[in-house]
Amino acid sequence: MKRVRVFLLFVLLLTLLLAGCAQPAAPAATPTPSPLVMTDGLGRTVTLAGPAQRVVSLAPSNTEILFAVGAGGQVVGRDNFSNYPPEAQELPALGDLSGFSTEQIVALKPDLVLLAEIHPPELVKTLEDAGLTVYYLKNPLTLEEMYPMLITVGELTGHKTEAEALANQLSVRVAAVQQEVAEIEDRPTVFYEIDGSDPSKPWTAGSGTFIDTLLEMAKAENVGRALGSQYGQMSIEALLEADPDFILLGDSNYGVTPEQVTERAGWDELTAVKEGRVLPFNDDLVSRPGPRLVDGLEELARILHAVTVP
Amino acid sequence: MLEVSHLTVAYGTKPVLKDISFQLADGEILAVIGPNGAGKSTLVRALSGIVPPQSGTIHYNGRDLCSLSVQERARLIAVVPQARSLPAGFTARQVVSLGRTPYLNWFGQLSPADEQLVQEAMRRTDTEHLADRLVGELSGGELQRLLLARALVQATPVMLLDEPTTHLDLQYQIGLLNRVVEVVRQPISPNGNGKAHAPAALVVLHDLNLVARYADRVLLLVEGCLRACGTVNEVLKPAQLSEAFGLPLEVMRSPNGKYPLVVPLMA
Amino acid sequence: MKGRTVHPFWIAFAALLAALLLSVLVGSVSLSLADMARVLAARLSGAEIGPDLRVADTILFSLRLPRTALVALTGSALAVCGASYQGLFRNPLADPYLIGVASGAGLGAVIALSLRWRYDVLGLLAVPLASFGGAVLTVLLVVLLARVGRSLPVTHLLLAGVAVNSFTGALTSFLLLRSTGELRRAIAWLMGGSAMGGWQPVLAVLPYWLIGLGILMTMGHALNVMQFGDEQAQQLGLPVEVTRWVIIAVSSLATAAAVSFTGIIGFVGLIVPHLLRLLTGSDYRRLLVLSLPGGAAFLLAADVLARVVMTPQELPVGIITALAGAPFFIWILRRSRTLPYWS
Repeated sequence: MKRVRVFLLFVLLLTLLLAGCAQPAAPAATPTPSPLVMTDGLGRTVTLAGPAQRVVSLAPSNTEILFAVGAGGQVVGRDNFSNYPPEAQELPALGDLSGFSTEQIVALKPDLVLLAEIHPPELVKTLEDAGLTVYYLKNPLTLEEMYPMLITVGELTGHKTEAEALANQLSVRVAAVQQEVAEIEDRPTVFYEIDGSDPSKPWTAGSGTFIDTLLEMAKAENVGRALGSQYGQMSIEALLEADPDFILLGDSNYGVTPEQVTERAGWDELTAVKEGRVLPFNDDLVSRPGPRLVDGLEELARILHAVTVP
Repeated sequence: MLEVSHLTVAYGTKPVLKDISFQLADGEILAVIGPNGAGKSTLVRALSGIVPPQSGTIHYNGRDLCSLSVQERARLIAVVPQARSLPAGFTARQVVSLGRTPYLNWFGQLSPADEQLVQEAMRRTDTEHLADRLVGELSGGELQRLLLARALVQATPVMLLDEPTTHLDLQYQIGLLNRVVEVVRQPISPNGNGKAHAPAALVVLHDLNLVARYADRVLLLVEGCLRACGTVNEVLKPAQLSEAFGLPLEVMRSPNGKYPLVVPLMA
Repeated sequence: MKGRTVHPFWIAFAALLAALLLSVLVGSVSLSLADMARVLAARLSGAEIGPDLRVADTILFSLRLPRTALVALTGSALAVCGASYQGLFRNPLADPYLIGVASGAGLGAVIALSLRWRYDVLGLLAVPLASFGGAVLTVLLVVLLARVGRSLPVTHLLLAGVAVNSFTGALTSFLLLRSTGELRRAIAWLMGGSAMGGWQPVLAVLPYWLIGLGILMTMGHALNVMQFGDEQAQQLGLPVEVTRWVIIAVSSLATAAAVSFTGIIGFVGLIVPHLLRLLTGSDYRRLLVLSLPGGAAFLLAADVLARVVMTPQELPVGIITALAGAPFFIWILRRSRTLPYWS
């Protein structure tokens, strides 16, 4: 019994000693007046001594934005899924949503970690506790809201002018597409498949998602709106009833082909299947909040309305 | 002296023991007999505090047992149950040592006096040589003797044995009951419990011939009612027994004339 | 027998020290021993940490030490509670989650994870608080269902536990299906990934750990007596019902607190007591005491594996314990054929 008490005492002392050791390390220099003070998507005030030179991006969308505004050379680390542009793949991969290696992030000595809305607030806290500066980018709800994201990232990395120019270019392209489809009265119905592993209940996207917004802008009707939620499974019967004009395979990045779709039970009754309007689609263009959303819009317009945009 | 007065026990609304009254004197062996369902095991449960009585009282030397805490009661009443589904990983010594629980602190620490008592109890029940063996390796007879040793170590003035001879070979049945008699006649002196006096033993038995051989007095229970309570010769009467057990029984005398022999009559 | 009383404890203690050291020294980034020594020296002497040591300092003190502490607390809590339940229910398959802590915590966490929280103190604590609340409420429900007057019959508890676990689990699955966006995060939590770093979780769990384990470790003798069944235990003078209530209450609190921050880590509460029984036999006094360092060491080792086996990815530690658990169990089963150690 005495042994047990001694042991418990030891454990208690050890924990208290360690907790006591855990006073945050005093910074080596006094803070200079910082030129960059911004408020991020969580309402936090983020302070940077100057434009970030060593950025860790933990979301593919953020990586794309960073490279698009010209800050690609300042990125020192990425998440596992950042695959665009191809140069990004040469950066060290630091994990994904099931777990990031905080230690490796710290070891890269970044002056900024860029997070997106896919990350939980606990991750912000964890990185902050490790002494890192974190900026959390909220998702845009419309394409209009995407431009300020670019500008923000441009400011954070000292490429504000480039970001603004990019935003202008993008809005011009968007306007062009909208003009081309303005006349269209007859909106095609589209089923956008996110995951067809269970062919009797494929996953699709409803309102509130980027793909839905883009389909709307491209003058198409998203069959997935009937879901009533952002993501969900639609039964093959409901799909047969809706009988969409087009079926876009958002899971083609995972190897799903139109040929496989024709072989699915019950799918051969769909008009789109019979008339060969099942088409692969690069999901990265419509799922990542960034400049490539405009590419996605253009691609949709091209597929659905045979509209060519310069 | 254990005094049971107008004890009625019911499971839910169904009465299992009705208005039972009897006494058990120190140093006495009282056998409880009766057909299945008579309430014998319930009697043991009620006396040991597992089932609360619906009405009636149980006193030991004037103390009302039902008003005692679980621990206090365990210092007065010890139970030797049937040796069934005992935890296989304990050693024999550990099992017997647990009999000291009513006297131990919360951590179960045994004093040297406790250990001595355990040793003595195991010697008396001829289980010393089993001390470090695991329960899972022991036979039914050995386990039953262990449980007797455990009850001995509990050093109570009253011991209840619930069919301790069931499932035992005849030699073990005899052996066990011999030891019970020994313990009652020559009690273990429990250090730290004060005086050593002869415990009383209430033994539930099926075998009427064992009853005839070992009991001082007999209690006959039928369907929860006390049909007879008295000496062996008073209770083991052919008419009474036949009626109670529902088949014709004859009572004869053993060859040496000392004990009655109960024998079923063939048709 | 007497000579053995010394050794198992020191074995477990040594294993714990080794695991603690390993957990602090090993991670996805390898630090040189020299750097670590310098950082330690600087911390102890109160000197400033130079810029070249900043990374090592952060990794050691802000990341690895608090995580080591949390994992050790969790592992020991799960093992001690698991051993207690195995004794309480007299069932070798019992673990701390038997009567609802895990399913309740999971439901609470998934509910919290499906809502958007502001980034403030409450928002960050939402998931641990919700999972703690869910765990406690679920156990209460099981206990209320199983109660017969003032007593808690074991079979009733087991049945109520099965029923409530299924129900809560089904609710959780349903919610997971509805909120696809948070699916990945919720699954990781349910597998036992410790999401929160820093010392706050450690300090939050500590009081429950101290009280819970402090009380449980005194229950060894009572559990020994209870191995003979409720009737015999009561006839031996043990207040069985009170003991049961206390063990359930205290164990639930300690386990709920532990899993609220680390997620559901399985197998520890089941495996560690069985492993330790090979050292201690069936005496619960020894088993409960040994389960403290034993459980901590086991989970620390699993956590180290989780960190390095697929670096830079950190696996949820629950996967490692489950993967390691199965072969361990088979080994124990084969060993136990020669001796009936289960009690």
